[in-house]
Amino acid sequence: MTTAPTLDASRVELPLHAAEVPWRTVVWNDPVNLMSYVSWVFRRHFGFDQPTAERLMMQVHTDGRAVLAEGNREQMERHVEAMHEYGLWATVEKVER
Amino acid sequence: MRGFVAEGERYRAILEPAEARILISLGEQLSQLYADGLAGDPLAEQALTRVLPDAYRDDEEAAAEWRELSRRGLIERKAGFAAAFTEPLRAVADSTTPTAVTLTEGGAIDWMRAIGDLRLILAERLGIVVDGDEGQGGPEGAAELYAWLAWMQDDLVRVLDAPR
Repeated sequence: MTTAPTLDASRVELPLHAAEVPWRTVVWNDPVNLMSYVSWVFRRHFGFDQPTAERLMMQVHTDGRAVLAEGNREQMERHVEAMHEYGLWATVEKVER
Repeated sequence: MRGFVAEGERYRAILEPAEARILISLGEQLSQLYADGLAGDPLAEQALTRVLPDAYRDDEEAAAEWRELSRRGLIERKAGFAAAFTEPLRAVADSTTPTAVTLTEGGAIDWMRAIGDLRLILAERLGIVVDGDEGQGGPEGAAELYAWLAWMQDDLVRVLDAPR
């Protein structure tokens, strides 16, 4: 028989709150992909409605980049891989705090 | 070729045999590039940089680690999109009259992806680097192919988006 270990509360790592997760998926402008296609990919992959997808696509086009998602690193890498499958230029980056 | 129409759950377009032969040739070049890239050929690796960009911009170590984990699988899936693009075109190419290609939704998405990858590689050859470049002055016919592929991809977006 054994006893439950004593937990040192100061060493227990709590899961990050959604608002604190420090990674994001960025899509960059490129001169090749069509605006209609980019908007379609944003709707298809991220599930955005048409106005949101259009707004983010225009942000990529005019600002050169847009943040498409925030979350943990593994999730962001999966988004980036999916964007690369669609031929979009996407990167993972750490959220500056 | 006049564009895709939705028929039930499928998407259908009629192509000239000569159009199909051009598209097959492009698709096969793309497949070859992926095969050479998987084999580690440096010229193919260079040509594929636009299709397989780094996942980290300012962190070479993270970018290298990600390449190690993801690059092979990505190339294999992209090779699958290229094959899904060329295969349905073979019957059209072998015909003597305009012939229909019929795609499932998944097939249509594979076509959009393969066409997008072809445009990225053509853009590299045409020196298209900023918005507004049209690739004039590239190899004979390349700018026209680039524009034709754009039209096809846009047409697929349109038909997949059309209310059913």
